[in-house]
Amino acid sequence: MTPNIAVVRIETPHWRSIPLWIPLFLLWIPVILLSPILLLVIVGLSIAGRVDPLRALSVIWGIVCSLPGTNVRVTSEGTKVVVRIL
Amino acid sequence: MNENRRQILEMLAAGKITADEAERLLSALEPDSTVSARTYAHTSTGSSGNGSQDSNVKAHAKYLRVLVEADPSMTGMKGPTTVNVRVPMKLLRAGVRLASLIPPQAHEQLDEALSRHGVPLTLSQIKPENLEELIDHLEDLTVDVDGKDGNNTKVRVFCE
Repeated sequence: MTPNIAVVRIETPHWRSIPLWIPLFLLWIPVILLSPILLLVIVGLSIAGRVDPLRALSVIWGIVCSLPGTNVRVTSEGTKVVVRIL
Repeated sequence: MNENRRQILEMLAAGKITADEAERLLSALEPDSTVSARTYAHTSTGSSGNGSQDSNVKAHAKYLRVLVEADPSMTGMKGPTTVNVRVPMKLLRAGVRLASLIPPQAHEQLDEALSRHGVPLTLSQIKPENLEELIDHLEDLTVDVDGKDGNNTKVRVFCE
């Protein structure tokens, strides 16, 4: 499943943000619109690198689909940043 | 009674598993357990039932977790900096497949560069199956690094 939502939360000692839900699925709109150009670029680069374009596409797709579940949390000097991909 | 519980009790009644094994299987059915009862049942069926198959039961790790607690002397910050990253194992599997996209003409150069840095590796000999095996073994990996000489930096890498 492709990532649908990214949740970003920032906390400082004086201020705490509400979790920001970023709808990643909306990115599909520009991606679909740009897909002919993106496909041409990927196929062109694959041919230049003598790599099977289908394999390249499957690897890229695999990485995109594996992103949900990623969680990054960084805390420093009382400031906390949390990024979750759902 | 749900289907799994009934299956376990039937296996116990049929003498395929011992009472101890049935107990472990039933506890594996608890919601927070990571051990698959079905896997256990599969490995138990047809065995002598002496409990030696515990080694066969292995919950597959879903995430690789990296925890870093950096000492303020390293970061220049006032307090400790902590980084907690959870990466799905699926992402690691997909990531290692990137190696298959390295153009063949670059393999020699990479091999040379790696061996110059003390890593005698031949990239062309790494097959997708090897990468899968690598990720499987990564599930057993735990790395704990503690700083020394007053440096309190700690790094932990493990699968969960």
